[in-house]
Amino acid sequence: MNAKILTFSLRGDTTLLEYDPATADMEEVNKLIAEYEAKTGAQPFDMATGERIEKVTREQNEVLMVHPIAGG
Amino acid sequence: MAPAILSVIAFLALVVWRFVFAGAHRRPLTRAIAPRQQRHSDFLAEGPHILEPGGAPVIADGLLENGADDLDRLDPEDCAKRYLQRIAALTGAAQMGDTYVLDVEKTRFYVRTRYVKRLRDTADPECAFEETCFYPLHKDMPLAEEIATALLQLKNNPALFDKWAAQSGAFRADGQAFRPTQ
Repeated sequence: MNAKILTFSLRGDTTLLEYDPATADMEEVNKLIAEYEAKTGAQPFDMATGERIEKVTREQNEVLMVHPIAGG
Repeated sequence: MAPAILSVIAFLALVVWRFVFAGAHRRPLTRAIAPRQQRHSDFLAEGPHILEPGGAPVIADGLLENGADDLDRLDPEDCAKRYLQRIAALTGAAQMGDTYVLDVEKTRFYVRTRYVKRLRDTADPECAFEETCFYPLHKDMPLAEEIATALLQLKNNPALFDKWAAQSGAFRADGQAFRPTQ
């Protein structure tokens, strides 16, 4: 089963990345996530536990990039 | 005889209508599909690169693929509500009407669309409600997903409430201030 990096969007969700966790280069996956985080401020959450994660591992099959919130 | 001629004329008119109008409808659909297919093959030809927020999913080097399945999703609102239910279950938030009640240790949050109320200590009868508004920096999401975003962030970092209440900009889930560069 492929793993997915998702974010919320107008369509409900958008798959940012999809990869085979058994064979993917996880350093490359985390590098792309870090680039996305630097650009948007969104941070990864494990959708199996609801917890924020520092690095995505092969054990995570669904990761949600959660965007920043401002007070108003 | 006359009814037979009329029937033939009606039949011929129906055949002409089908070819003329059905053909006219088909052409724009083909045009709409063509750019999407072109974009897909462009992505496959490119190497790894940063993803565009809110834009099309990006492919990288055979390792990563775009979420083509998402393109055909029918009802974004239903999808967003499913995410909200799922995240409410993950965080232990309970729905009360249009509000989600979230307990984080002694603190209780009442989260609804762009508005959150906090009871800092549920055991303290003197404790008063505090409240603030919030909005996600990424505007392109259904309201249900805005609530889901707030639930996830408050569950992991309840101190974010104070940062939102201070109205001093946007904050990432880890509590760090974030200023978009673009």
